[in-house]
Amino acid sequence: MTRVIQPSQSGRTNGFRPLLYTMVGIVLCAASVGQSSTAGPNAPNVPAKSLKLAHPQIVLKDEAGENVLKSGKPISTRQTCGGDCHDYEFIANSFHFQQGKNEMDRALLTSHAAPPFNTSPGMFGKFSIIPNRQLTRADIKDPADADMSQPEWLTKCGGCHTGGGISEYDLHGRRFLSPEAKPSGPLDPSYSIRDRETGQIIPWDWQRSGVAEADCFLCHVPKASRGERKKEMSAGDFRWANNATLVDTGIVVRQPSGAFTYNHSAFNSDGTVKAEAIDLSDPTLENCAQCHGFTARNTTTIQPIQHADIMRGTEKAGWIYNGAKISDTISPNMVGKEKMDFPWDVHAAAGLICIDCHFSLNNPGRMIQEDPKKNLRYKPTEEDLAVYLRRPNHNFARGNIPPETVNLTQHDTMRACGDCHDAEKGHAFLPYKSAHLRSLACQTCHIPAVHFWAYRSDDWGFVMDTGGSRITYRGIEGSIVDPESEVRGYLPAYIPTVDKNNNQQIRPTNLITGVYWFDKSKGRPVFTWQVQNAFYAGKAAEGEFPYRPEILKAFADKDGIIDLPQAVYDTPEKIALVKGLLQTYSGVADPELHIEVVPWAMTHGVVGKKQAIRDCAACHGKNSMLARPVDLNSSLPTGVPVVYRGKKLSVVNFTSKEPTFDNRVLISSFYIVGYSRAGWVEWIGWLCVAGAVLFSLLHGAFRLFGGHS
Amino acid sequence: MNSALPLYSLHERIWHWLQAAGMMSLILTGMAIHYPDRFGIFGSMANAVRWHSWIGFALIFNAFLGIFYHVTADKYHHFLPRMDDFTGAAVRQARFYFYGIFKGEKHPFDADPRRKLNPLQKITYLLLLNVLLPFQIVTGVLMWGADRWPGLFSRIGGLWVLGPAHTLGSYLFLAFLTGHIYLSTTGPTPSSLLRAMITGYHVDAE
Repeated sequence: MTRVIQPSQSGRTNGFRPLLYTMVGIVLCAASVGQSSTAGPNAPNVPAKSLKLAHPQIVLKDEAGENVLKSGKPISTRQTCGGDCHDYEFIANSFHFQQGKNEMDRALLTSHAAPPFNTSPGMFGKFSIIPNRQLTRADIKDPADADMSQPEWLTKCGGCHTGGGISEYDLHGRRFLSPEAKPSGPLDPSYSIRDRETGQIIPWDWQRSGVAEADCFLCHVPKASRGERKKEMSAGDFRWANNATLVDTGIVVRQPSGAFTYNHSAFNSDGTVKAEAIDLSDPTLENCAQCHGFTARNTTTIQPIQHADIMRGTEKAGWIYNGAKISDTISPNMVGKEKMDFPWDVHAAAGLICIDCHFSLNNPGRMIQEDPKKNLRYKPTEEDLAVYLRRPNHNFARGNIPPETVNLTQHDTMRACGDCHDAEKGHAFLPYKSAHLRSLACQTCHIPAVHFWAYRSDDWGFVMDTGGSRITYRGIEGSIVDPESEVRGYLPAYIPTVDKNNNQQIRPTNLITGVYWFDKSKGRPVFTWQVQNAFYAGKAAEGEFPYRPEILKAFADKDGIIDLPQAVYDTPEKIALVKGLLQTYSGVADPELHIEVVPWAMTHGVVGKKQAIRDCAACHGKNSMLARPVDLNSSLPTGVPVVYRGKKLSVVNFTSKEPTFDNRVLISSFYIVGYSRAGWVEWIGWLCVAGAVLFSLLHGAFRLFGGHS
Repeated sequence: MNSALPLYSLHERIWHWLQAAGMMSLILTGMAIHYPDRFGIFGSMANAVRWHSWIGFALIFNAFLGIFYHVTADKYHHFLPRMDDFTGAAVRQARFYFYGIFKGEKHPFDADPRRKLNPLQKITYLLLLNVLLPFQIVTGVLMWGADRWPGLFSRIGGLWVLGPAHTLGSYLFLAFLTGHIYLSTTGPTPSSLLRAMITGYHVDAE
C-alpha cells in the first residue's frame, strides 16, 4: 500500500528515507489525533484495541503504475503497495506467499527428515493425505510423472494462498510473462496442466490468466472476500483475483458478464480510494478466519464451511476460536451444551486476536526483543518503526507443531504460553511443577476436549464414484452440512513432540488416518489420477465415475452399489485386485497400500483453569488419558504398513474391536508415576508382600491349631 | 510367676512408634501415589505427594535422632550382630520359629536389657536400617528433588530408574512390616511384645 504521491513528488527517487519519515509522521500524527479525541475528561474508556492507526490514503494502481480509475485495468499490489512504500519482494518472500517455494532445497529437506518425494516443506511441494496430491517435479521427462502442475495448484489452492511468489514465479525463479519466462519443455509443470477430460498434459496460457500478485487486501482489508477471490483463481483468471477480493468493499464491482469495474463513488476526487471504503488495517480475526479455522469474537452461530471449503483448522483439528460461550451456541446442534458454560476459547473471550500471538517478527510493538542465546533481555539495536513499515516481516511468529513444516528454519518464533503466563505461579496445586511443565504442553490440560467435529480419516486407497476419497469425521453424528446433526465433540490423542528447548512434550492432537497407495518403484505416493484410472472405466456425462467391472464384482453389494460400507479392504484379495488394476491401467509398477496416521496438534479451543484438567488420576491412573486409545477409521485394512510421521511404527492396535491409535511406543520414554510400571518390580514386590502375608497366616494357623498360640 | 524386665526406655519407645507411624503413613501415601485412581484416601494424588514428602523428611529426621540417641546412650550395640548371630544363633532362632514354637519350646534367647534383639532381628535390622532405609531415603530424596536438581536427577536415570527402585524398596518395607507385626505376636502371649513396646516392660512367663 502506498501514500498519495503528488505528481511533482513521484519523480523523486533519491532515497526513500525522507519519504519514510513523512509516512511515519503521518501515522504518528493520525495516532495522536485519535488519542486526543478520546482523551478528554468525559471521553469513554475506549479499549486500546478499538484504536487504529490510520493508513495514508492510497491510489490503486495497475501494473503500469497508472490509477486504475483511469486505466480500468487490474489492481497491481506490486505497484500500489510496493513501489515507494513497502518492499514488495521482501514481503512476498515469506511463507504465506511462498508455501515452501523458496525452501525447495534438498539438503534442507533432508536435514529435517522430510520424505524424499516432498519437494518443499510447505503445501507447495509437500504430499499430504489431504488431498493426496503432489506438486509435479520440475525435471520430469515422462507424462506419467505429472500430477499437479503449478497452474493447477493455483486454481485449487490459490483462493487462500495469497498470490505473490508461487503465483508470480515459475519453478526456475523466472517471473511469468517476463521475456525470460519460457517452458523448458512440454511437461514443464510451471507452464502446463493435465486436462481433466482427456488426461493429456496441455500448455497453460499465462497470457490469458495473468499472474496473481500478492493479495495484500485479503489480510489487510476487513471486508476482503476470499469467496470472490476463489472464484477467479478457480477459473484461472489470476490477474483479476485481487480485484475480486475487494468486491464486498464497494470499490470493485463484478459485472454480470464477470468483468470487473471500479465504483467511482468509492474514490476521492483526487483519485485516491476513500479510507472508509478500503479501511486498511492490521489483519482482523475475520481476515485470518477466512482461510484458517473458524474464528470470531463472539458469535453463537458456527459456520466452519464457507465458500464450499471447510476451514482448515476446523477441518484438521476441530478448532473454534470464538469468545462466545459454548452454552450459548444456536447452531450447530451442540449436544450437552447446557453444561458448557464457558467460552469456546478463553483467549478469544479475553479479546486476543490472531496477530497478538502470530505477529510480524520485526513489529516493534509486538516483537520479542530478547535473545536468550546472548543472555539479552532487550536488544536496543533491533529494527525500528521505519524499517518495519518498509519491510514488515511476513514470516509471522509461529510455533512448531505437527504436521506443519513450512518455513523450516523459523519455527518456535512466537511467544509461548509461558511468555505471557507465569505458569510456575499459577499452578499452586501442582506438585513437581517444573517437571510437569517441561513434559506437558499447556494444551494437554487446557484443551481437555474438543467440542466440535473434525476429520477422522481420508481414505484415498479407495475412490468413491464421485471421484473423491472415502472421508469420515469424528465428533458428529450425521452429515457435517446438516445443522440438525448432533455435534458431540471428541477427546484428543496424545503424542510427544519437541519443544523449542528440545524437550519432549506430550500434547493433544486430532488423528487423521489416511489410506493411500504408494508406488514403491518410484518411491512416492501413487497419484490420484492413477488411482482413478484403476477404479473407473471413464467418466459419465453427469459427472459420476463408473467403476470398472472388476471393482463392482469384488466390492459392490447385491444391488450393485458401492457406498461407504462396501468401500473397504476387508480381504487381502481385494487389495491384490486393486494392486493389479493399478499395474494394468495406471502403469504403477509396484503399488503398496499404506496407512498413515497424522497427528494435527491442537492449539486453539483453550479453556481456563476451571475447565482445565486438575485431576491427577486423569493422567496418572491406570487408565491414563495420555495413553487413551483413540478410534481410527473402522475399515482400516489389516496387515498394511502403518506410517507415522514418516516412519513405519506400531501405532495402530488392530486387535481391539475396531482399529485404535496405540501411542504406547510413542510415550514410552515418559515415566508417568502411577501409570508406568516396571513389571519385574511389581512381580517381585508383590511376591515379597504376599510371601510375608502367607507366612504369617500359615505360621499363625499352625500355632493356633497346634495349641501354642 | 511372671517377671517384668525394664526393656525399652521412653526414648526408644517414642522413636519406635514414630518410625512405625511414619512408615505406615509412607506406605499409605505411597499407595495413593502408585495407585492414584484406586487408592484416593488423601483426596488427590497431589495431596498424597505432599504428605509423602513431609512424612518422609520427618522420618529421616527421626532416623537421625535415633542414631544420635543410640550412639550417645551407648545402645547401638544392640543392633550389631556378632559372628555367631549369622551362623549358629541364627539357625537356633530359625529353628525356633519353624519348629520349636509349635512344640511350646522356650525362646532360645531371653529378652534382656543388654541384649534386646534376637539374632534374626539383628540381621534383619542391620539390613533394614543400613541398606533398605538409606536406599529409600536416597531414592526418595532424589525423586523429591527432581525439580530442584534436574541435572542430577537426569544423570541418575530419572524416574525410569528411581521410580521402580523406590517402589521395590517400598514393597520390601511392606513385606517387613507384615512379618514384623506378625512376629510381634510370638512372645509369651500374643500381646506381650506389643505391650512391652508400649509400657517398656517385658513380661516373661515362667
